[in-house]
Amino acid sequence: MSSKEWILKHTLGVRLFHYLLVISFVPLAITGLVLYFKPFSQEELNFYMQIHVVFGVILTIDAMAFFIVGFDRVVTFVKRAFTVTGDDIKWFAVLGGYPQKFLLRKKVPVPPMGKYNSGQKLFGACVVIGGTILIITGWGLWAFPHILPGGMGSLFGSLHTICGWIMSLFLLVHIFLGIYMFDDFKAMFVHGRIPYDEAKEAAPLWVEQELVRVE
Amino acid sequence: MKKQSYSYVESPFLLSRREFVTIGGIIIALLALPAVWIRSAIAKRNEYVRARIQGLYKDDVQSKVRVSHGNEAVAKMYKEFAKHPLSEISEELFHTHHYINRRTM
Repeated sequence: MSSKEWILKHTLGVRLFHYLLVISFVPLAITGLVLYFKPFSQEELNFYMQIHVVFGVILTIDAMAFFIVGFDRVVTFVKRAFTVTGDDIKWFAVLGGYPQKFLLRKKVPVPPMGKYNSGQKLFGACVVIGGTILIITGWGLWAFPHILPGGMGSLFGSLHTICGWIMSLFLLVHIFLGIYMFDDFKAMFVHGRIPYDEAKEAAPLWVEQELVRVE
Repeated sequence: MKKQSYSYVESPFLLSRREFVTIGGIIIALLALPAVWIRSAIAKRNEYVRARIQGLYKDDVQSKVRVSHGNEAVAKMYKEFAKHPLSEISEELFHTHHYINRRTM
């Protein structure tokens, strides 16, 4: 048996929320792009719209359930995502050292990070703000277009499109880096745990300041 | 007893009570703001709709023809061209199907 020590990074509740988020957001992004570019006939686009709506409802239920059941996690996540320090600016100045690692095979010094690095914090802020706008505008456009005042429907449509594009493009980066950091990927999709040594290297502030040992 | 598969967890006291209430309150307030804005915009629009309804009722009272099936032009169109409502040609010309691509309209 391995003597490696592990940290519980993602609890079962967080993993369940993330599973449903993946299951709902990926089809939403794909059908959203189809509805934006309209490459098919009207009947086929109508079918894509129905798929978009079904997964939109699943995403809403998932988000609302987590907001209510895991409100403490939501508050903690918001605090982490929206707390900006000087280290975040330094992190963005070297882009977390990833371009140097990928393109030049060079390791550059990166400021110490907490549970989420600065890029993840920016993505988290986009998910919180963009996700909320997408849900509100999506419901407005689908279920209540008849009661939206003139101008508001158009505004909702523009906001939905802009946020959808930002989130979909961010998703590509998120998937790439998520799979690249394979221990994190396994933690989110399999067992919730991350090796202590890995975490100490990637997120030293989190390990030093926010963890407690369990017996 | 099952052995625990991890040795560390996040401290349950990451946030103080004051931080929790402050951040939680800000989140709830920010979510309530668009709800208030949308509600007031709808209420304002409804005032306009009500005034428009009043105007339409007034027009109806003053109109000679008050119902669509009493419209002579429509009756003539059905008699000479489309036969009757829901006829094959009416269906083809007056009914829309499926998704409407407004960009190509």
